[in-house]
Formats: sequence, C-alpha cells, structure tokens
Amino acid sequence: MNNSESSVVSLLQETQEKFGYIPKEEIYRIAEEKGVSPAKVMGVATFYSQFRLSKPGKNLILLCKGTACHVNSASSIAAALKEELGIGDGETSEDGLFTIEFVACLGCCSLSPVMMINGVAYGSLTPEKAKEIVRNIRNEAAKGV
Amino acid sequence: MNEKIVALEIDGVKIEAHEGATILEAASSAGIDIPNLCFLKGMSPYGACGVCVVEAEGSPKLLRACATPVREGMVINTKSERALKARKLAFELMMGDHDADCLGPCVLECPAHTQCQKYVKEIAEGRFADATATVMDTYPLPASIGRVCPHPCETACRRGKVESPISIAFLKAFAADTARKMGVFAPAGVIAESSCAGKKISIIGGGPAGLTAAYQLRRRGSEVTVYDQMPKMGGMLRYGIPEYRLPKAVLDEEISLISSMGVKLVNNFKIGKDAALSALRKECDALIVANGAWKSSSMGIPGEEAEGVFGGIDYLREQKRLAGRVAIVGGGNTAMDACRTAVRLGAEEVYVVYRRTRAEMPAEEIEIKEAEEEGVKFCFLRNPTEVIVEDGRVTGLSLQVMKLGQPDEKGRLRPVPVEGQVEKLPLEYVIMAIGQKNDSEGFESLKTTSRGTIATDSSMRASVAEDDGNSAPVFACGDAVNRGASIAIKAIAGANDAVDAVEAYFSGKDIPERIGTVSARESTRIDFSQYEKMPRQTPAVRDAEERKHDFSPVASIFTEEQAILEAKRCLECGCHDYSECKLIRYAKMLKTDCTRFRGEFHPGENERHLVAIERNQRKCIACNLCVRVCEEKAKKGLLGLVGRGFTTVIKPEFNNSEAIAGCAECNMCTLACPTGALRLLK
Amino acid sequence: MLKIVVGMGSCGIAAGAQRVKEALDSLSDDVGITGCVGACYLEPIVDLYDGKELKKRLVRVTPEDAPKIVSASSTGDFKSVEELVISDEDASFLTSQTRIALRNCGVIDPESLESYRSVGGYKALEKVFTLSPEDVISEVKTSSLAGRGGAGFPTWFKWNAARAAKGEKKYLICNADEGDPGAFMDRAVIESDPHSLIEGMLIAAYAIGASEAFVYVRAEYPLAIVRLQKAIRDAEAAGLLGENILGSGFSCSLRIKAGAGAFVCGEETSLIESLEGNRGMPRLKPPFPAERGYKNSPSNINNVETFANVAWIILNGGKAFAALGTENSKGTKVFALTGKIRRGGLVEIPMGLTLREVIFGIGGGVRGSAKFKAVQLGGPSGGCIPESLLDTRIDYRELAATGAIMGSGGMVVMDDTTCMVNMAKFFLEFTAKESCGKCVHCRIGTKRLHETLTRITEGKGKEGDVEMLEELCRGIKDGALCGLGQTAPNPVLTTIRYFRDEYEAHIKEKKCPAGECVSLRKFAILPDKCKRCSACARKCPAGAISGSAKEPYVIDEVKCIGCGVCEKTCRFGAVVRK
Repeated sequence: MNNSESSVVSLLQETQEKFGYIPKEEIYRIAEEKGVSPAKVMGVATFYSQFRLSKPGKNLILLCKGTACHVNSASSIAAALKEELGIGDGETSEDGLFTIEFVACLGCCSLSPVMMINGVAYGSLTPEKAKEIVRNIRNEAAKGV
Repeated sequence: MNEKIVALEIDGVKIEAHEGATILEAASSAGIDIPNLCFLKGMSPYGACGVCVVEAEGSPKLLRACATPVREGMVINTKSERALKARKLAFELMMGDHDADCLGPCVLECPAHTQCQKYVKEIAEGRFADATATVMDTYPLPASIGRVCPHPCETACRRGKVESPISIAFLKAFAADTARKMGVFAPAGVIAESSCAGKKISIIGGGPAGLTAAYQLRRRGSEVTVYDQMPKMGGMLRYGIPEYRLPKAVLDEEISLISSMGVKLVNNFKIGKDAALSALRKECDALIVANGAWKSSSMGIPGEEAEGVFGGIDYLREQKRLAGRVAIVGGGNTAMDACRTAVRLGAEEVYVVYRRTRAEMPAEEIEIKEAEEEGVKFCFLRNPTEVIVEDGRVTGLSLQVMKLGQPDEKGRLRPVPVEGQVEKLPLEYVIMAIGQKNDSEGFESLKTTSRGTIATDSSMRASVAEDDGNSAPVFACGDAVNRGASIAIKAIAGANDAVDAVEAYFSGKDIPERIGTVSARESTRIDFSQYEKMPRQTPAVRDAEERKHDFSPVASIFTEEQAILEAKRCLECGCHDYSECKLIRYAKMLKTDCTRFRGEFHPGENERHLVAIERNQRKCIACNLCVRVCEEKAKKGLLGLVGRGFTTVIKPEFNNSEAIAGCAECNMCTLACPTGALRLLK
Repeated sequence: MLKIVVGMGSCGIAAGAQRVKEALDSLSDDVGITGCVGACYLEPIVDLYDGKELKKRLVRVTPEDAPKIVSASSTGDFKSVEELVISDEDASFLTSQTRIALRNCGVIDPESLESYRSVGGYKALEKVFTLSPEDVISEVKTSSLAGRGGAGFPTWFKWNAARAAKGEKKYLICNADEGDPGAFMDRAVIESDPHSLIEGMLIAAYAIGASEAFVYVRAEYPLAIVRLQKAIRDAEAAGLLGENILGSGFSCSLRIKAGAGAFVCGEETSLIESLEGNRGMPRLKPPFPAERGYKNSPSNINNVETFANVAWIILNGGKAFAALGTENSKGTKVFALTGKIRRGGLVEIPMGLTLREVIFGIGGGVRGSAKFKAVQLGGPSGGCIPESLLDTRIDYRELAATGAIMGSGGMVVMDDTTCMVNMAKFFLEFTAKESCGKCVHCRIGTKRLHETLTRITEGKGKEGDVEMLEELCRGIKDGALCGLGQTAPNPVLTTIRYFRDEYEAHIKEKKCPAGECVSLRKFAILPDKCKRCSACARKCPAGAISGSAKEPYVIDEVKCIGCGVCEKTCRFGAVVRK
C-alpha cells in the first residue's frame, strides 16, 4: 500500500505489527511522513486501545470483558490470572513473559468466559483452567531456555 | 456570508439572520447571550461543552446553538426548562471535576473578601502603592486594620500547611504605611454611574462600619454625613483598641483622608439627645445606622455593681490608672487589651480569669503570649461566682473551679463546675471583658432581635416602628445588628453590604452576589510537601520589660526587604483568570452547585516548565480550543489530546519541553482558553 | 463416501475445531470447512454431506473422535458416532430459525468463491446491473429494510440521500466495528459468508454511485479480516470487484480498514474520523455523512447484517422480505443469544416473535437450576427487560417502549444470581472507558454514574442516590453529543425502572439480593456441618477464618471481604451465605 494514502491509524498499525508496540521515534517518523504534528500522532496513538506505547510481554493475553463473559464471571478469571501472574489490565509480568489486556468483546460469547492468547481463543474458562493454560505456556518457555 | 435572510424567533424576539448563520450568532446579534465555552469566533464549531444547548419547537433533541444553522420560521427557546437543566448539568459536571480555586482561601475567609492574594502579590513585586489601592477598593482603613485585624485570612492561608501562613495583615499595614510615607495614600477611584450619585446619606456611627460606608458612598458621588457621639471618629478602633496596638496618629491619618474626600464628619452628636432618629430620616435620602455595641455585658453574679468593677470596653475607653490587684474576666481580645493596658497603667498584679483553658481562648495566640511576657497571670478553669464586696468596694472574687466536659454545638469543650471546689482571689478591681451589647437609647423605633441588636433583613434594611412611609429608609450594619459585636473586618463587610443595598434601593435592581458560586480546592487533596519551606517573616518586637511601661507600639512594621520576602511566600491559590473566566461567569449565572457531582478528578498537574506558558490541567475543561487554535490559527500544532474519555488530557507529545521549543509565544492559546488553565508567564 | 466438513468460525476454533480438523486431516485428504452454523454451544461441529445434502451433524466433537468419523464417512455406518449426532432438541435450535442474513453461514465454504456461487452468489449483482440505481433503491424501499446496527433507520432513505447528494466522488462504508460486547453476528457473517457482504456492498455502491468502498472491521476479529481479504482477492480476480465489474461499466474498489479498538467508532461520524486516521471523536451533525462524510464527500454507512440481507432482497424481491415481521419492523433479525442460556448462539428469526419465544423456545430457557431474571438487549446502549415483559414482540417500537432498544442484536440472558445494580455498573464502566472524552455530559457524566453505581454496590449508597442517578441519566441523554453518550444511561434507567427494589436493598439494607456484590456478601459456617478440615481457613485470602481440630471453624465478619472462596472450597456445604 502506498504510504501517502495510508492514514495515521494504518501507519500506527503497521508499526505495531512490526515492533509489537509503538516506539517513540516512530511517532516522529509517522508525523514527518504524514506532514502532521507529532502531537496529533500521539493523540491518535493514545486514543485507540489497540496501540501500546511500551513493549508488551512475549505472550499477549486478551481477556474478554464482554457482557456474556461478565455474566459468566469473567472477573474471577481476571482474579485468577492476577493470582497466577501478579498482573492486571495493561500490565506486564516481571519476567516479561505475559501482558494482560482487558478487551471489550472477543465475539465468542457462547464460550464465555473467554481469553485469547497470541491470537488463540480459549473458551469456557474456569479460574483453574485459566491458571493451567498460562502455567503451561510458562513451562514451555522455561524448557525453551 | 450568504445574502439570503431568514426570519426566526429566539426567546420571543423576532430576529432576522443570514442563511448559514448559527443560532448562537443570530442570538448574539440580537443581544441574547447563550452560554458557550468551546466556541470561538472564527473557529469551526466543536460541540464539546454542551452549554449552548437550546430547545427548538418541533425538534425532539436539544440543539447545540454553536453549530446549528438557523432555518426560516425556527422558534428557539434558549432558556426552556429542559435546555436549562441540560446546561446546568454541564456546569455541575465541569465544576465537579474542577480541582482548582477561583479565589484563595484568604479572600474567601476574609469577611469583607478583601483581595488579599492580589495585594500580597503587588507587595511581592514591590508595588506598595498599588497594594494599598487594592485594599482601599474594599475599605479605607488599611493601616489600622492591618495592625488590629485577627486576620481570618491568615488562619485560612494554605501556606500554613507548609510551615506558617503569610503575614497578610502586617503586610497590609506595611504597604499602607509606605504609601502614606510616599505621599501616595489616596482613596480608590470614583465609581461612576452609581444610583447613589447625588443622594444625601446620613450615617450614624463613625467606627469602621460607618467610615467604610461613608467612604464607599462618597466614591459613588453621594453627599455623606457621619454622626458620632464621641469627640473623635474611629469608634472602637480609637476607643477600644490600645495605642500600643494601633497608634491614634495612624487612625487619624486614615480618617482625615475620608474627610478630605468631602465626607462630612460630625462628632459629639448623640441620637435622641441632639436629634431624633425620625428627624434625621426627614433630612436625607437614606440612613445607615452603624452605632456599634458600646455596653459591656455583665456577668450576672452577686456584687458586680460594687465600686471597683468595670466593663472591659469602658475601661479601655477611659484608661483609668488602677493601682492594686486587677482581675480581668474573659478570654477574648478585649480581655487581652484590658489586661495589657492595666499592666501599662501600673497595676500591681494583673490576672485573667477564664473558665476554660488556654487552648479554648478566643483571643489571638500572639496576644496571650505577649500578655504573659508582660507579667499577666492566667487563672484557667475558673469561673467567678461572686464579687466579694466590703463596704461597697471590691475585695476579691469567688472562683468556682471548672473542668472541661463534652463539646458544645461549636465543638468547644464545655466547662463544668467541679463540685465543692471554690477559691477566693483577693483583689481591688474587676474588669468584665465577657462581651458587648448595643445601646438602644435613641433607636427604640427600630425592631430588635432576641439579642437586643437591631434586626435587619437580607437587604440590610431595619424595620422602623410606625414608619410614616415618607422618610428615608434605614439600613443598619456593624456590631449593632443581628449577631452583634464581632471583629472590625466583619463590621466593614457589613458596611459594604449596606452600601450595595443602598445602591440597589436607589436603582431598583437586585443586590449583586458578593462571591456566589466559586470553585474551591479541598486542602486535603494538596501535596504540601512539594513546596520548599520558607520561614515566615516577623517584624521586630520590643522586649516585654521595656514595652510594658509605655503605650508605644509593641511591634514595628516590616522592613521593605522583609515585606517582599514575606509576600513572595504566597502560594497564589486563587486563579489569575477569575475575573475573565467564562466558566465561572456562567456557573455563577446558573447558580451551579460545584460539589454536587464530585468524584475522582481528571488527571493532570500544573506545569510550569514548558516554555512561556503555564498549563494547569486541573482547570482544563477539554474544550480543545488551545489545540485547535495552535493547529489552525498559529499553524504550529504543538498540542494534542492524549488518551480517551475521562482521562483525556491536553499535552505536547510526550510532555517534552524540547518538542515544543517551537512555541512562538503567540499567546493565542491562552487568549482562547475559556478558563484559567493557560497563562503566559512573564 | 461422505464429505466431512468442520465448522471453523472463531467460536468453533476456540472450542477446539482446529485440533479436530487437524486430527481429521491426518486421516483423510478431503476435509472441508465451513463457517459458523450458529449453534455455538454445540461446538466443535462436524457435518457429513452427501453432495449437497447434509446427512449427519455431529456435535461436541473431540480430536479423539476423528477415526470414528472418518470411518463413518466412508462406510455410511453411523453407529460408532451415534452419541455425537445432534439431538432432535438441539437440531430444533437451528430448524426453528428463518435465515436470510445467515443463509449461507455454516453451509458454504467461506474461503471459496465457487462455494458461494454454487448457492446463487453474485446472481443478485448480475440482476442489479440490469436495473437503474433508482430501481434498486425502490426495491430496498419495498423491503422496508432498516439499519441492523441498532438505530433502525430506513436503509433506502440513506441510500437515496447519498445518491441525491452532490459530489464527484462518493464512498460506501461498511461498519463492521461490532462494538456491543455480547453481539457477534457481524463477525459470523464475515467469517462464514464474506462474499454476501461484498455482494451486498456492491449493490449499494451501484445504487448510490460510489466508486470506493471500505469495510471497517474490528481489530479483535483477525479471522474475519483474513477471510474477507481472501474473498476480496478472489472477487477481484473474478472481475466481480474493481474496474468495469462484469462488463457493466460500473467500477468499485473495496478495501479493508482495521479498527484499532474504540467502541465510539460504531458511531458514523466517529468511524469516518477513524477512517481518515484521526482520533475517533464524533463530528457535529449536520452535516450528515450523506452530504459530507469521508474526505468531505457524500458517504453512506451501513452495518454488516444490513448488507448481508441485500442480495437476498434483490433476488427474492422486497415484498418477500417485507412479508416477514410486523407492521413497523420487517424482515428478520439476527440475535446473539448468550449469558445464562441453555442453548446459546446465533438466532435469526422473523421480527414479531416474542422475547419469550426466542429465549424459552429456541434458547431452551435458563441454564442450570436458577430462575430467569432479565434479558439485556442492545448492549451498552440498551436495557434490561424483566420477566414480566417477556411477551414483548421483537419490533423496533415495542422494544423501545420498554426502555431497551433492538440494538445490534446482543441478547444476554441473566438469572437471579445476577445483580442488576452490578449489571448497570458493568455497562457504565464500559461506556465510561469507551467515551471518547469530547463532550462534557458523556466524559464526566458517565464517570460519575459509574462512581455512584460502584459506591452502591460497595454498600456505600446514600439516600437519594437513585433519584440523583435518574436526574443525571436524563441530563446526559439530553446533553451528550453523539449516540454513545445519549444512550449510555439506558442500562441504568432500565434497571432502576424494573429493579428499583434491588437498588434500594443495596442502599438501605446494605444487601445484594442476588448475592453478587462482593462487599455486601456475608458468609457463615454451620457448626454441625463443619468437618474441621481447615480447608476454608487455609484458602481465605483475608485470614478471616479460625478454628481447630476441636472447635468448628468460624468467620470473623470484620475481616471477611466477602470473596466467597470459602464457600467454593468447602466440600461439605458448611459455608453458607447470610
């Protein structure tokens, strides 16, 4: 796609795709490329929940906080993850392995409560099941080292 | 602009406007003010603040006047109940999220709302004459009040939470003294277009209230005469406050300024004796009674009529030399003035008898401390039950020993007697300084309160029995009315209210609200540790052994260096933009309750480090005008909205001072800001 | 030999369809895929086809079932898979629906243009090129199709306005930013039948004269984006998109723009701002997008479900569509039936059915032993409807009269363990977080609503709070700039309207009748049931439980935080709510 046609949102998306987040320098680069002020780019980058301005953990957990998940106690999943990983919404674990983001709805309402890790959805969660899933990922990572 | 003209109706007024004009523009051209905050002429409408909503016949939704073009035949109501409700809610929400002060606590807590912060700043900048003029806008006695005021402003001063409050009162005295020395001590400017101009007004009482009323009315062009029963003007400032606190020469100079303005001052004139109140009423257009509270309250105990028992204010007025042992009953400032006067007039032993403890004493701490230094003995938790009399003369006081019990309705601990413990204090004199009452002689026709004070209504009017309806109306203020005797600055506040009431009486308009709606920060939310500690300046005080033998001033006034240092300690709580702020102007107009929707405040700090513009995000209402102006008009685009929803703030990207180094200081953003969130630093 | 087809929508994949497919692939070379059939609670689903005829539908399939399935498909002997075959009751979940928008979902291979064409795909487009744009609009007018995104505005009217608007270039935009947390029909359509969206959009583009079209898709829908991209490429290759489509002389391009996560971008003007690359903050209306929209040119925006109906209407006639439904609301509507429901998933029914028929008939009522309490319609802009109003028909006006809205089709069922104050709080937390922050009423108002509701659920409610909430809600509705703010108070207003007693119980008695509000929960241990195992005491995060082998355990109410861990831990039923 021709960049002159890409909007600031698209450029930020491409940047995040590339780096996993939006590094500070990229804000200035995009501003220059689009001929707009860095303040404006910053405004766009901080408006949308998708964009991150700091580096996320290796595994991105999107925890659904949609209505169906709420009714089926998504908050207990959030609590379980907090217990297991010690992190909440928007936080990254100390070992840099996990970042949790609460999202409005993953659209898998019939399987609520749901979370998505690195694009893979896990449904019908219980607190124990959620803990087990992240534990497995962590164990895999430990083996890899 | 389009040439086609459309006809419409706004608030019942038929209006013609160019097609394409907005409702706001059409209304404004017809002189109808629709509140607006995020709109700025020359900028495209934005629609954020929602205060310009109006109701249009046939439209199910409220319309934003700033953005809706007029149409032929539109019938607009800018003040319909529904529009007003939505508009008022916008203000309640904004004010509830406004973590900022309109006025500093000093101004709010001063009964007369003297512009303390302003004159302190002027002093900090070395502009002493300006500072004096600032005070003189509120009252004409800055040097006197600066010396004697118990300064509620300082009690409220937030600097006190850092280390100690600004010495506001003494700064004022310093500024006024300096102005007098410089020969620039002058009345504040004439107030033009007053309904009081040319009116003949009589004032009874030449104390702080009467003199202030006279001064303010004279500024408005009234012909003012002040009548006073004493030989000289000044009231309690002259006859109730000892020379060592307020030199008569200082007071004289301030009074002569009032006289020089053309106010007629008549002394030795007692109502009921020299003229009847009803007679005076026939000779003027309005009459203000400010005759004060000149009778000492009695204790209501046996023996108090005996020889050697005096009232506190009587004693201060007469300045009798009392050789022997003297007890002053009471714990207020009058008691302190009396005991220290007694010391200076050569009493052998001076006691202060007070039924609570030192902590509960209403007198100022400095007065108590200085009295102690001068050798006054304090008898706390003692309540006189009887004046012991022999041959018609005082020989002592019976004192009931008290202890502190449960708090009263004001929260002060209530003294209760300790059963069976009574002491005797041998004395030659007793001075009762437990309060003052007003003397109604000559004023019997005025309706009184249960306290015996003159009763006034909310427009400062006293009601006259058997009023013939042809005489001048009677207003009243000062110690003589309602709750009775208090501090001078309160009497001055009452005088200003009375002047407003007189003005309103002649103009037929409503009395303006003095302060009305304002935003005020809760001190508990402020982190005072951020401020560097700077000690309070104190003027030199003479040694107790030296000062207790004469009536020369106890304390000197500040040196210029001290005054500037002291004034610079001010935290500048009040907003620089108060008089210009659109937000508060409309909030006042709608009588907004600023605390109704209090909750978490939006984030943001006061940033002073960015180029020449200070940005106080706590005052920001996110109207985005600064961002828009910077981008569209100044063509810089240095600011942007960051974040979303409630936590949205306006920032230069990354809050980086380097990034905004291109700021041209064009000042467009600060001028566009409808609140005091932006300020150009000099 | 039967064809094996695995349901591969996001839900199915989340339920394990990917692993089932892999297992089947390892045993067979001819495993097909389809999208989401909508019976999400039965996923993963595997269908066995004989040509076009569905022979057997297998549900809740695991990878371990793969050998049995492969063998059944080759032998035609279904004995070994009998326990996987869908029950009649479950089958009725699908057979009792009337599917127009979802007509191909779970039927065709979403990744195959051929598959779409085999069911009549792009025939409507061919037909349209024989009609004038005005005729197309008129047909849509006959159908009475209304915006399925929530507002229910007549589709033909918007098309007509955009067609009539002056402008050299016009744009067509599909709103696929399905923001209502609880609705997922748009995702299902794109994942399962992307070409029907493309075809519907091309018909609309032709009608209004647009030469450029966009689909604005939520970033949280990666699979939908992938399948739509493939569909666009295939359509372009087949001459169905781009220059001179099907030789008609009409040209239109179609591009995907991924959203970046902002609920407010469901609002037309915010969506346009976002498309232009700006912060998604609403613009003032007028001017409406039909006059000045994307790049200040006339633009028309419809949502996915609306477009998904268009090709069907053109082929079958507007009258056939209008024959379904009620006086005011024609055609069908897709609902995402979720929450505490026995049979949850996508349900497309003709307008005019009652809520009871959908929830208790198709959905089978409440899951488990609890009692039905309310159904939430319209998500953060909608409201909660109580049992007493379940006979309300699905109709724009009738639903609006309850204080809820039709909305985009989220239908979340709640039982008596759901606290309605907490529900209102949940939605206000959402809207406060999603408020763009532009207008005062919404930015500060929703925040204050959320704070007050939070206070009430924590037992810190005050007398007068409910009245204050009502007043604030009404003021926000009147003063907010866009649809988000104007509808944000609805969840609060409807729960107050129908469940005021629950609010009052929280405020006056400091009790949560549903037992959901943690701060208001109190637990006790029944001494005679306590086995003194100490499990509860060990799990208690607040250290509020004490006891010993000799003494039954007790809960210190002062220390107790009401989390309920003890209740869940106790295997003897000794922990009870007070």
